[in-house]
Amino acid sequence: MERRIVLPGEKISEGRLNAPNTYYDSGITYAAVIGMMDEEGRYIPLENRYRPNVGDVVVGMVTDVRHAGFEVDLRLPQGGFIPTRDVRLTLQLGDFVICKVKSVNEVGDVDLGEVRRLPKGKIIEFPSAKVPRLIGKKSSMLNLLKDYVGGDLMVGNNGYVWASEQSDMPLLLAAIMMIEKKAHKHGLTDEISAFLQSQRGERPAGSRESGEEGQTAQGEEEITGEGYGKQQF
Amino acid sequence: MASSSSKVQLIIDGKRTDGRGQEDLRNLRIEVGVIPEADGSSYVEWGGNKIVCGVYGPRECIPRHEASPYHALVKCRYMMSPFASLEEHSRSGPSRRSTELSKVIREVFENLVMSEKFPNTQIDVYIDVLQAEGGTRTASVTAAAVALANAGIPMKDMVSAVAVGKAGDLLALDLNKMEDNFGQSDMPIAISHRDRKILLVQMDGLLTRDEIAKILGMAERGCDQVNRIQADALRRFYERGEEESVRW
Amino acid sequence: MGEEVKDIIMANIRRDIMGNTLSKGIRFDGRSFDEYRPIEVQMSVLQSAEGSAMAKIGQTMVLASAKFDIVKPFADRPREGVLVTNSELLPTASPSFEPGPPDENSVEMARVVDRAIRSSECIDLSSFFVEEEKVLGIYIDLYVMNHAGNYTDTAALAATAALMDMKMPKVEGGKIIRGEYTGMLNPTKLPITTTMIKVGSNWLTDPSREEERVLETALTIGTTEGHVCAMQKGRGSLSKDELLERIDIAFKRGDDIRRILKG
Repeated sequence: MERRIVLPGEKISEGRLNAPNTYYDSGITYAAVIGMMDEEGRYIPLENRYRPNVGDVVVGMVTDVRHAGFEVDLRLPQGGFIPTRDVRLTLQLGDFVICKVKSVNEVGDVDLGEVRRLPKGKIIEFPSAKVPRLIGKKSSMLNLLKDYVGGDLMVGNNGYVWASEQSDMPLLLAAIMMIEKKAHKHGLTDEISAFLQSQRGERPAGSRESGEEGQTAQGEEEITGEGYGKQQF
Repeated sequence: MASSSSKVQLIIDGKRTDGRGQEDLRNLRIEVGVIPEADGSSYVEWGGNKIVCGVYGPRECIPRHEASPYHALVKCRYMMSPFASLEEHSRSGPSRRSTELSKVIREVFENLVMSEKFPNTQIDVYIDVLQAEGGTRTASVTAAAVALANAGIPMKDMVSAVAVGKAGDLLALDLNKMEDNFGQSDMPIAISHRDRKILLVQMDGLLTRDEIAKILGMAERGCDQVNRIQADALRRFYERGEEESVRW
Repeated sequence: MGEEVKDIIMANIRRDIMGNTLSKGIRFDGRSFDEYRPIEVQMSVLQSAEGSAMAKIGQTMVLASAKFDIVKPFADRPREGVLVTNSELLPTASPSFEPGPPDENSVEMARVVDRAIRSSECIDLSSFFVEEEKVLGIYIDLYVMNHAGNYTDTAALAATAALMDMKMPKVEGGKIIRGEYTGMLNPTKLPITTTMIKVGSNWLTDPSREEERVLETALTIGTTEGHVCAMQKGRGSLSKDELLERIDIAFKRGDDIRRILKG
């Protein structure tokens, strides 16, 4: 089967697929957002608006400190909320956090748990649909970035990336922009690796295994991949 | 609408003023993702029309009290630039016409956007007409559909729009400015691609029921042509992967 | 907590992190402190205006339309043409722009660009007399299409390019005959503005959106080939020496940009 781009309203399969970004009507599942059918006939959204699911790992910034809890900017129309009674930390305005989505109700309120404060750093925006690509199969892309850029990186499903202050920001930003533009191309990890090398020389000592090179399209674009589920936590 | 005794020649030697056949579209060019800051965007050049569309959302609903706990609000702002006309420079700001068009365009997308997925939010569709030459509302709907798809806002279907009508006693597709101003009837129409539902229809002038039946068929065929161009533009953009400079 | 206090705290945190990178003599996007982002100008983008240009500095895009109309002259200058400059920050251009009448930032930008063009004397308004109570007026509309920082310089660049692009219309019987032209406007100077901001102790030219969020002082200087033709300080303060230094930089960058315009 050949890869092809599908538009909203195009048929994806017979029967009810129950996949996000699709809808079902009279026996057929249709695409709701622009996406791609890959060689195995699976539908992969190319753009989407992030909707938090319970268990998602998210990165955010504390934007309000109230008696009842902390409001966290998650790049959503409404902020996430950490009830005071659920967290032992005293968070401050401007603190960066990584946490898990504990609950989402019908009107879009998001409660957060398993909160960890992140040290000083910078938040970078990245399209949530492409987050799995930024992490890579077995975190290959993420580790590649960390090795060259120095410092630490945390990626949230919500499309926020936190980089610690030791990071080489210009290099990191350039690499992230490349990944964003070329997210669904083959061999991207190699291309990024070559770019980073050209800017920084050999991969710094003490680098970890880069994971399997030459991944298939399947591995790279796996939306439900284990990549971020098991991410540094 | 001019009376049918207008002296302007709209059909010359059996052809329309710009040499087109009855069901020929004017030149239509669509670019995707032209406004990097926006969540989704498009640029449409259709005949002498130049239209930019930017989409934001779902984002916080302002004012808060307007928000619905059941679904996102779809908001649309259609604006004509003061320099859009080939004639005089006009005043900036909304007019009664732009207010009406903002409404009918919004009502197209209220049918398609799966707004129940984003309660308490709003989705903004901004349409700016940089240059106008007849048919700006159908070009706007066409542009907005592409921008919404680029933004990843879930929709049930794509929609395309075109104006049909009667000019110089000829039933015709995609009326240009002369045909719009001096013709006998103008009927802009938007049709969803898969479902074939009419999501916008307006009309002025005089037409018989049979004439309308004929031009509805013409409109469907016209919308299919437009849809192909929208789909090509989107495919080109996503297959390319990288941003190239848009030639405006 | 008040919105303003929050904004200040956020800005301080962002400034802090940016300071780390700036202390190495480089900006987040890899530029040096006095470097502009890539600049592109495309002229004649509209057929509905006698002159037009789309200017891009980095991802910031501004469309300038320059259109002639027959207008009434000002009462105190009955034989002089009129120049009117308006701006729109299109809500499409940024999540922070709201629809509505121009706000103070939009108005300021239009007035600074207008001042630069007017002071430069690049157009001879006295040549625009048509007949009693009728003169040629130029309407410059500055449409900010994408805001990635420094729309002021982008707008000034677009305006000057639109004036370079502008054709002179045929005027007959006190009316403009649209579509017929008698030559080019040919502005005699090319006014360019250079905007610079101070973050901590560093002056940065052509600020990106992110840099604008943490600025402590803002300054725009308009230059022509030999003169300063406009100045506007925004937030903050600076010393006399700093101002003179900044003027030197404005001339250098202005000349660079004039070279790009002349092709």
